This record gives sequence, structure tokens and C-alpha cells, in this order.
Amino acid sequence: MIQMFHVYKAYPGDPPVLSDINLHVQKGEFVFLTGPSGAGKTTLMKLIFCGEKATKGQILVGGRNIARIRESAVPYLRRNIGVVFQDFKLLPHRTVEDNVAFALDVLGVPRTAARERVQRMLKLVGLQHKAGSLPLKLSGGEQQRVVIARALVNDPTILLADEPTGNLDPALTLEIMDLLMDVNARGTTVMVATHDTSLITRYQKRTLRLERGFIVSDEDGVKAARRMAAG
Amino acid sequence: MSALAKAAYFWRSAASGLRHAPFVHFIAVTTIAIALFSAGLAQAMGRMVDALIGSLGGEVQVTVYLSPELDEEGAEVLRERMVAASGGRATLVTPRAALARLEKELGDLGEALAHLPENPLPPSLELEVPPERRTPGALKALAQELRAMPGVTGVDYGEEAVERLSAISKALRYGGWVAFAVVLLATVVIVSATLQLAIYARRGEIEIQKLVGATDRFVKAPFLIEGFLQGLLGAGVALLGLLTFERLLGPGLASLFSFLVGSGGMVPLLEPDIALELLAAGCALGLGGSFIAVGRFLRV
Repeated sequence: MIQMFHVYKAYPGDPPVLSDINLHVQKGEFVFLTGPSGAGKTTLMKLIFCGEKATKGQILVGGRNIARIRESAVPYLRRNIGVVFQDFKLLPHRTVEDNVAFALDVLGVPRTAARERVQRMLKLVGLQHKAGSLPLKLSGGEQQRVVIARALVNDPTILLADEPTGNLDPALTLEIMDLLMDVNARGTTVMVATHDTSLITRYQKRTLRLERGFIVSDEDGVKAARRMAAG
Repeated sequence: MSALAKAAYFWRSAASGLRHAPFVHFIAVTTIAIALFSAGLAQAMGRMVDALIGSLGGEVQVTVYLSPELDEEGAEVLRERMVAASGGRATLVTPRAALARLEKELGDLGEALAHLPENPLPPSLELEVPPERRTPGALKALAQELRAMPGVTGVDYGEEAVERLSAISKALRYGGWVAFAVVLLATVVIVSATLQLAIYARRGEIEIQKLVGATDRFVKAPFLIEGFLQGLLGAGVALLGLLTFERLLGPGLASLFSFLVGSGGMVPLLEPDIALELLAAGCALGLGGSFIAVGRFLRV
């Protein structure tokens, strides 16, 4: 589903943010991306949804080489990729329902059909009773669930979550992670960037570790969890 | 269905943009309204000057002086040639008729003319030129053609007055266009600046739109519609202003200028075609401003 071959990313005048990245994420796989702050986790995710362009190398998403993608084709690629951020990025003056429907407006889905899909998605994330609320009236965990609903409402094949639990307390963190696991169980490829090692130990999923722009380890869930537990 | 849903979204989003930044849009609408109100007034003034020139032009008469040696038959031949050349009407004024007219015009002093040893006035032809040939250029060309005819000794059509009036009209027209262009440019700049503010205020929304796969056109369309709506609203306000102006000040102005254009000569400020022109100009102004704003500020 996601393949990278010798990918580099550098900004003029700075050392490379990513160097010689090679990875292969299978369809339906769940992958943790971990490493210290500044290791390049966010940049790697941005490369996948064309938020940034690679300086060198090839990136295939769903079989399509996005290193050479035309600007005009980027929006169509993004419709297949749901993105979740630590800072939510919700529209504060729109209701939960409108925030989720926002992704369907872009696709030109008629309002009635959109409403049905939004309701279904809010039910999935357990927020159907908050459809008419404004985001600021919700807890952090609820806001992040709205973001996940928005990311999933147009049935993307990939879900990228950059520190989705970074602003949440431990209970809400588990709530969101369980939700992401559910999403993965339904067939969506999920990549979660986190520096919270307890999540890796708990969920035991394939883990890629980034340090100073390099992938320093790529381990299956059990091995990664064992290493994390050993400290 | 998808295109319809998108169009509905664009209009909803544009209307919501107007609602959420009322002050910014108020400035743009007011600027467009002032520009179009001024343009409407200037156009009415231009039409009034045209009407004035038309009314004065109606009195334009070309007098062709003929050689005294020319007999009546020769004068008639010339008259026919002149009618053919000018496309108007020509009346032969014999020396006797000219003297009688002068005597009448002089009143009591006219008696003095009876003591002249002979009639000094030449025969002449008075040409009434059709309206389309009353322009200074056409009159000048006609006069030259007439002067070249054998038996013609002079042509007079009030050349200086016609040319001066025409120059004034031309100056007013060109001055009006230059002023209008300046106002237009300023309006587009202001509209564009207000929309840039609106875009800036919605940068969060735009960022999310891009993340969920909105195309450039999708992001830009609501702002273009916002500009269009600003223009439409501005034009509407300008039309209302012109109507109010005409109601309140029209009668006073008509009596003030009646000495120039006659009692029925005041042109109405708003005619349906002008109202449509102003509406179209408003929409074009709004769209123009928003095109510049999205082009410069919304590089998505």
C-alpha cells in the first residue's frame, strides 16, 4: 500500500530531515512510527499525503508513484488518505456534524446522503449524541474522535495519525487507540506516529523507529514490545 | 448530482463568508456602491451634455453664398447638387428676400437700407443638414465640398462655435473616462484587499479543505462568488442611491438647468439599460477584485 525507495528530504541550508528511507507497508497493516522529537516522523507522513515533496527517491501509494505526481492530481490522492493531527484542526464555529461532513462537501456528496454517512461515522466513533455540539464544548478525546470520523467518512484506504494522543490523558489515549485499532480491523491501513512507547508495548504492532532522519529499526509488534519493555 | 451539490456548497459557503465578516464586506460593498453611483451620475451628465449638443446642433445651418452673376436657373442647379451632397434640405434665398429679412431684423434702422443704390447682398442657399452630418468633422468636409462647386463664393456654418462645443464635450468625455478608470482601479484594489482579509480569516478552513482533498478550484470558487455577491450588492446600493438622488434632487436640478436644456430636456438618471450596465459593472468589479485576491493570496 505504501512503498518508499531511497527517499530523502532536505530543506535548503539544513541537514537532511529524512535520509535513505526504504519501507513497505502492506494493505490493511497497522504500523507505529516512533522516535524522538525531530526524528522526521511528521515529515515522513507529509510525504505520504503530498504535504511535502521528497528531495530524492520514489514513493508509491496504492501503486501510484507520487514522487512525480502533478499538483492538480494531489487532491484526488488525498481523498484516499485520512489524516489525523495532534492539534485536531477542527472548525470551531461549525457543529460536529458539519465538521465531519466537510470532507464530503469536497466530494460533492448531496446533503441528505452526506448526513447519513456522517451519522454512521459518528456512531462508529461513539459521538452520535454530540452531532449538534460545537467542538469547543467537547473533551480532547471527543474532539479527536470527531477528527477521526472526518478522516474516515469518505472511506479512505489509508489513515495517517500524527501524535493523535499527544494532547490526551492516559484514559482518553487508550480510547482513541482502541478506535484506531477498530478502524484497522475494518481493513484500513493505519500508520500512527507516536513517541509514547507504552502504546507500542500495549498494542504490539509493527514499529518503525526513526532517529535523525534514518530508519534505525523495523520490528514486528512482539519484538518491538519486548524491546520497549526491556527499556 | 455531485456538481449540483458542489454548486450549492459554494453558494452556502460564500453566503456564510459574507455573514461571518460583515465589516470587511461592508467596506467592499460600500466602495463598489460609491464607484458605481459616481459612474451613474457621470454617465447621466454625459448624456445631458450630448442632449445639449444635440439641441444646439439642431440649429446648425449651413449658409452657402453664391456668385451675384449666377441666374436663378444656375442657382437651382446648385441647390439640387447641394441637396444631393448633404442629404438634407436647401432653400434658395434671393438677394431681394435676404434684404427684406435684414430690413425686418434691423427694425426701425431697416429703413436706411432703402437708400442703398443697389442691393449688396448676394444670393444664397440655406442648407439644413441631417442630424448624422452635424458633427464638426462632417460639417467641415461638407463645407469643403460645397466651396469647390462653381458659383459658390463662401460657406458659413458657425464653424468656431460647433468646434468649441465639440471640444468641451470631448474633454468631458475623456476626463470622465480617465476619472472612471482611476475609480475603477481603486475599487478593484479595495475589493481585492477586503477579500484577502476574508481569505486570511478562513485560512484554517482552507487548510482542512486541502487536507481532505479539495481541488484549487473548489477552494477558490466560494471566494469568487463572494466577490460576485459583493459586486451585485454594491450595484444594488448604487441603483437605490441613484433612484433616491433622482427623487429628491431631480426636480430642483431640472428647474436649475432648464435654461440650458429646455423644460423637457433633463435626462433621467436611471434607464433600464443603464441599470443593467451598472449591475453588470458591479458584478465585474467584484469578480475582478476576487480574481486578483485568490490569484495573489490563495496559492493552494
